[in-house]
Amino acid sequence: MRRLISFFRLFAAFSLRHAARHGGRTVAVVLGIALGAAVFTSVRLAVHASIASFTRSMDFFAGNADRVVVRPGGLLPEETLALFYTHPAVRDYSVVSTTYVRRQGEGTEPFLLIGIDPLLDRTFRSWRIEGEGTKAIEAWLDLLREPYTILLTAPLARELEVDAGGGLALEHTRRTARFRVVGLLEPSGLALVEGGRVGIVDIATFQELTGLHGGVDRIDLKFRRGVTPSEIEALARELPEDLQLGTPSAARESGTAMIRAYQLNLSVLSFASLFVGMFLVYSLVALNVAARRRELAVLRALGAAPHTLFRLFLAEGALLGGLGWILALPIGSVLVRYLLEAVSRTITTLFVRVRVEELVLSPAELSVSFAVTLGTSLIAAWQPAREAMRVSPREAMDMMTPEERRRKSARSAALLALGCLAACAVLLPLPPAGGVPLGGYLAVLLLFLGFALLSPFLLERLASGLEGRLSRIAGPPAFLAGRAVRQGAVRTAVSVGALITAVALFTALVIMVYSFRRTVETWVRQTVSGDLFVTAKMGQVNRFRFPLPEEIVTELPRLAAGFDLVESRRWPLQRGDFPYEFEAMGMETFFRHGDFLWLEGDPEALRPRIAAGEGVLVSEVFAARTGQRTGDRFQAQIEGSLVDLPILAVVRDYRTDGGIVFYSHRHFRERYHDPRWSGVRFFFREPPADPEGELARLRRAIVAAWGDRLDLIGGRELREAVLRIFDETFAVTTVLLLIALAVAALGIATTLTVLVLERSWQLNTILAVGGSPPQIRAMILWEAAFLVAVGEGAGLACGFLLSGMLIQVINRQSFGWTFLYTVDWASLGLSLPLILAAALAAALPAVRAAFRLPPAALLRQR
Amino acid sequence: MLAGLAGGMAGFLWLAAAFGGEVPAQGFLAVTGPCGFEFPRDHAPHPGFRTEWWYYTGNLQTEAGRRFGYQLTFFRYQLTPFGGSAVWPDPPSAWRTRQIYSAHAALSDLSARRHLQAERIGRNALGIAGWLQYGQDITFYHRGWSIVIFPERHKLQAADEEFAFALELKPLKPPVFHGREGYSQKGSTPESASCYYSFSRLETRGTVTLGGKPLAVQGQSWMDHEFSTAPLEEGIVGWDWFSLQLSDNSEFMIYLLRREDGSLSAASSGSYIDSLGSKRHLESGYFAVEALDSWKSPRSGAVYPASWRVRIPILGIDLVVKSNLADQEMRTSGTTGVVYWEGSVSARGTKGGGPVEGVGYVELTGYAGGLPVLK
Repeated sequence: MRRLISFFRLFAAFSLRHAARHGGRTVAVVLGIALGAAVFTSVRLAVHASIASFTRSMDFFAGNADRVVVRPGGLLPEETLALFYTHPAVRDYSVVSTTYVRRQGEGTEPFLLIGIDPLLDRTFRSWRIEGEGTKAIEAWLDLLREPYTILLTAPLARELEVDAGGGLALEHTRRTARFRVVGLLEPSGLALVEGGRVGIVDIATFQELTGLHGGVDRIDLKFRRGVTPSEIEALARELPEDLQLGTPSAARESGTAMIRAYQLNLSVLSFASLFVGMFLVYSLVALNVAARRRELAVLRALGAAPHTLFRLFLAEGALLGGLGWILALPIGSVLVRYLLEAVSRTITTLFVRVRVEELVLSPAELSVSFAVTLGTSLIAAWQPAREAMRVSPREAMDMMTPEERRRKSARSAALLALGCLAACAVLLPLPPAGGVPLGGYLAVLLLFLGFALLSPFLLERLASGLEGRLSRIAGPPAFLAGRAVRQGAVRTAVSVGALITAVALFTALVIMVYSFRRTVETWVRQTVSGDLFVTAKMGQVNRFRFPLPEEIVTELPRLAAGFDLVESRRWPLQRGDFPYEFEAMGMETFFRHGDFLWLEGDPEALRPRIAAGEGVLVSEVFAARTGQRTGDRFQAQIEGSLVDLPILAVVRDYRTDGGIVFYSHRHFRERYHDPRWSGVRFFFREPPADPEGELARLRRAIVAAWGDRLDLIGGRELREAVLRIFDETFAVTTVLLLIALAVAALGIATTLTVLVLERSWQLNTILAVGGSPPQIRAMILWEAAFLVAVGEGAGLACGFLLSGMLIQVINRQSFGWTFLYTVDWASLGLSLPLILAAALAAALPAVRAAFRLPPAALLRQR
Repeated sequence: MLAGLAGGMAGFLWLAAAFGGEVPAQGFLAVTGPCGFEFPRDHAPHPGFRTEWWYYTGNLQTEAGRRFGYQLTFFRYQLTPFGGSAVWPDPPSAWRTRQIYSAHAALSDLSARRHLQAERIGRNALGIAGWLQYGQDITFYHRGWSIVIFPERHKLQAADEEFAFALELKPLKPPVFHGREGYSQKGSTPESASCYYSFSRLETRGTVTLGGKPLAVQGQSWMDHEFSTAPLEEGIVGWDWFSLQLSDNSEFMIYLLRREDGSLSAASSGSYIDSLGSKRHLESGYFAVEALDSWKSPRSGAVYPASWRVRIPILGIDLVVKSNLADQEMRTSGTTGVVYWEGSVSARGTKGGGPVEGVGYVELTGYAGGLPVLK
């Protein structure tokens, strides 16, 4: 205990006093760490809140079923239920169907309608009706005895401006019906699904509204106690071959699996800010060690053990980390609100519907955030602290600076850098571990480290290469700056490393996002082609499960003279945990107006084969996730048909995070069964003189005939919407990137200021011997220019490498897709000089700091 | 009949709560006079009346003397009257129905001193629950449980995780029509009544399965069938129902409708069936029941009578009736939410001055708090 107190006294006297004396740089580093920690914690909280909302919702919905029976791609015939009435393994069973409905009127948001049998469902899912005794019982009975009755959650009822006993018209794909609200649900169990945006109806009402007579989405089963796995397997075998026995958590697992890759990528990106902050801690602690070698030697001469010095600097790192973490809390509380909104919107758009109701900062989350912040700060301080251990008491009397050692360090760092880059090349091609591109992430880390370690060597080379030439062009300030950079290369390397990391991230992400967007633009133009898209009402939100009514399918072509129609039918399917879609579409007509983004094969040869129904096309994501390639056979149970077709080619598709399989609509009907139409797109057969007018005429005709049963969207509107969603998705990435850049700029400012302050004596000597303040300012700016040039140049190189790794490895392994590599020269050309200017501007405080004390006073101090 | 009424009413207390006062019986058929029973027609359900039940209880034993009590009851509840205001969509869903069936099964393992129970509830749709008629045979089914009424015998089947029974019952006497030709009044108004008949003594054989092990059993059973629309008056807080089969081959059934102030409703009554099967109606003043002992349920906290002195002076009956197992409390949270006591009892005493013994079933409702809540 006494030792501890003595240590803290020494820490206060030696480290805290020093930190307070150099408050500016301490604050800058703490701010950098705080920004990094805030970003890291906020992203974690936002993603976790979204995932928690999703899993909670799925758990409440799954109830306590042991298994679920589904019919992939179709409705489960309700007579299937009879299989379980007397089955020895089954104790209870229930049925569930869901769909989205919305209140009739403009701009109302859809909510989830759950259809159950309240009698069978009692042992599966919990839900309670508000109110006491007979009132609640009455509401419950009304649900059974009266068609078109509904139970709503209280928040949803408020949103829909209706109360228990009131009525409202609900729109569904098939029809609009007037419902009576028989009661409100207490906020528990099933009422918490989708953040409380749910209504419960009797399964009879559900079928009567949706027209899904004779079928349910799934049957939930509870087994009797002591049922054996072999009995469950036997039950699975007894089912008709088009039915599947799965676990109730499958939907939750596949949903969370889809989010996981996004979460991981975002977490890695958020860690980048903390990683850059780590450079700051390293930089400050290393500079302190270097600048205070003489004091350290004195301490050693006075009896301080090497490990005491080690602990002093480690504690300094911990202090910076701790203060950064504390400051991160208020910053994070602001940041998390934005991120939560953005992240949950992205997850809803790309993966699964989430609705975050609450944000809980749990002690566990706080601990993780604290541990990571402190851990990174300690790791950053470790090496300089080890350096402090090596200071010998003799150095107290030693007037010589260890220049030679530094030269050696730069070379050994360069060798280490080469080692890192070699390891990076080895790790990169490794396959993902459990869907996580671990090798890729490690390779990225090693790439950053490698380039950071390379920076002293690059600085030395650049400075020695340029100082002569610059001297001729820009005079002594440039020459002296080159000399100073060359001599201080190792010390400044860390800040340069931070800048390299930030610029590399910036460059890589600019290239990746641009490549992605350009590819998506091409895909949208070719594959999402069409002049008008028509689906059943709320087709999108209900995943196109409700086909267009036959009379509409028959009549539509009559209204659309002058247009080609491409019909399609989409089924959501599942292969293990992997969700994908099967789309049967009118290929022959489609190829007249649009195309796929072919990833392999000869499109000219493939198009006729696809149109002739010889096989399917699979998306790149489908191929990556299932391992199926061209030449393999695609097999799936779709409604009542076992589809078994060869895979003819792989195409790019960015519709969802899941995969997609395309097949000819006509040949599906001929080979299997009538797939019906879930949507249709219209193409002008010939370019008309007045396309807008023609389109408006077609829209008017369709709306007049079936406006209340169909959703219409113009081709251009749809393509713009797709790109808008894309841009929104990457908004979070941009914010995280800017923060990383801000932290890096802080690093440059800190490093330069420290360098200037360290050399105040030298700078003022120059002033005293005739150098002018503008010359010295120019010298400092030249130094900054050297640092920033190396940082930006190496960062750019690193960024290009990183962009390739992100597109070809990490994206492919995380999401299953790649895109056409396209460099956004315009953005890079505009932003890199801006970063250069910003980094140079960060040198201004250093310039001001140079002349804070009069030269005489400084020289006297020395 | 009170077994039927009590069982039925217990089973449908939640429903009674729903329609007892607030929901008018408008549109449903009312029981207002003699029921004119004809069989097998009247073994079948009577849609149009709001509630109906088929209720079997019995005392059984193995050859080795291991004793059991059992209960199997099917309830029917009609949600809406025919031609009611709620118009069904066209076409209606196959799930759309007016009839709900629930069922309770219990087995009192008297030798092992344990009471096992199970319950079912489901709609009369898609073969989940309901009834069928093949010729003269009436079958009630509910997810693997069944009651089949043949012209000469009844067949019961129920199975749960812990127990199962499969029994064949042969009526030893013709059905008894309670009240006036089956018209059993439960209150002062004519429609406060039910149609009610019983088989008071059914020779029973079959198997009881416990822990997967089948045991051959035999004994005697009682069956009630009752239907009504508004059987109970307001102010009734519960009832005690007794059915006893005496060693002299006679039986009696009495029910006591309890009021809030502890007094008995004048509508309490019963039936006595002599050894030849002739019935005698028992007015409320003909019998007296005194609770001698009580048992407190550790789960519901309800205090139930556990033994009684039952006297029917006009028949010279003076019996002490004791429950064969204290804990035969039914907790039906999965279906009706009602907590009641339904159990096997034994009787010993005198009849006409001579010693007599008996076995039977007692049902006690309204002891576990107020009206049950469904959810």
